[in-house]
Amino acid sequence: MANCPVCRAPVDEEAAKAQTGMTSGGAKEVDPKMGTRQFHDGTWYYLCSLDCRNKFTRDPDGYLKQ
Amino acid sequence: MDFAYTPEQEALRRDVRQFIKDNVTPDVLQEADTESSTAQDQPRGMSPKAAALYKKIYDRGWLGITYPKEYGGQGKDRLTQYIVEEEFTRVGINISLGGSGAPAIMAAGTETQKQFYIPGLIKREITFALGFTEPHAGADLANLRCSAVKDGDYYVINGQKMYTSAAHYATHIYLMARTDRNAPKHEGISIFLFSMDTPGVTVRPLWTIQNNPTAPIGTTYGHARTNETFFDNVRIHKSCLLGEENKGWRVGSMGLNLDRVGASRYLISVRRDEDIVNFVKNNKFDGFDPGKNPAIRDRIAEMWIEAQVCRLMTMRSMSIVERGGKFTYEGSAEKVWAPEHGVRVTESITQMLGPYATLLRTSPHAVMDGVFGHNVMGSFQSGINHGSVQVMRDQVARRGLELPSSRRSAKKVEAK
Repeated sequence: MANCPVCRAPVDEEAAKAQTGMTSGGAKEVDPKMGTRQFHDGTWYYLCSLDCRNKFTRDPDGYLKQ
Repeated sequence: MDFAYTPEQEALRRDVRQFIKDNVTPDVLQEADTESSTAQDQPRGMSPKAAALYKKIYDRGWLGITYPKEYGGQGKDRLTQYIVEEEFTRVGINISLGGSGAPAIMAAGTETQKQFYIPGLIKREITFALGFTEPHAGADLANLRCSAVKDGDYYVINGQKMYTSAAHYATHIYLMARTDRNAPKHEGISIFLFSMDTPGVTVRPLWTIQNNPTAPIGTTYGHARTNETFFDNVRIHKSCLLGEENKGWRVGSMGLNLDRVGASRYLISVRRDEDIVNFVKNNKFDGFDPGKNPAIRDRIAEMWIEAQVCRLMTMRSMSIVERGGKFTYEGSAEKVWAPEHGVRVTESITQMLGPYATLLRTSPHAVMDGVFGHNVMGSFQSGINHGSVQVMRDQVARRGLELPSSRRSAKKVEAK
């Protein structure tokens, strides 16, 4: 279990990545309610919502220092 | 200079209209326009009735009109494409090849890529998701960070894309990724084409306010569902590279520019002009005839004049492309004028109809099945996607007027 780097809410990384369906083109589909993620400096960070992700993308290093 | 259509072109238009009258019935149209909202749904335009319609259109030689015959096209001119596309777009049927991938492949692809992708796109057996935008990048696409690292004969892709609208029904992705992190940001970018079922590709649904409730056919530019797409150590063969490594910015920009040329883009911005003219002509309110009101007549005439500018810009762009001329900023200029015209039309209609102009089709008081209300949401979006109008203005300034780029000017200031 990770913590959202913006609001510190718990985010289940495995649930965010877990396959819940498949697109008609054959790609894995995930449940959007399980949070989202952001690739930053070679690492995936898991965030609880798009709102937090928007804040994170504006100043990722600032949030990671907190 | 003659802007009139030839007798053959007029005959083609009549032929297309008759085909539409005979084949594009309301039930077919509804199915063809139905949005795929979940991954399990039939992909857009691929339901049985829609697929049968597209097969008939293909058999008439009206898909991929400008593409060479050896790749499954018809090898005809862009005005022919324009006439056919205009008629189908007016009734809500999209016959374009779905984005900037096809023109980019024709310009930069290998023979194998052309032989594989172009016929598949024309027959609608292949659909691309456009993997360009990223969450942190803002309006400047060149800020992208999704990386592709060379590993022998393969590239390994890690990163993410935002607003990959077709990802839940696309068969392939047309992806822009960074292949040299140390190069200036517009260099060091490459384009890749690969299947959506490649291991490591993950799609996460995103829901927007578009098309909710379902809008009248042909009303909105976007759709309710779009997606985020993630790439976790996606391993693809080097043959998936489109064009040269690190030269993807030019290929991608050129593809986007060419995708902006044509009837579909033009009609997105001017169809509500035609709707409001029809509404004003056909409605009277307790003796009040809006067509006789000087203020309304003035606004409608002004909108019509603006729409003619849209049409002429489209024709000019097509003419340049047809002659094989240098086509750099013209599509950008069109991409500023047409969406902003669409917004001005939306504002004018709102002034004419008042609050009724914002009612969606679910309201019992909606005007013309809510086309104007849904348009309020759709028209603003078209100034943002496929390159924001601010970025387009910058391209006109740099490429059309040869002004220095703000980025280079800043560096020169630093050097001093």
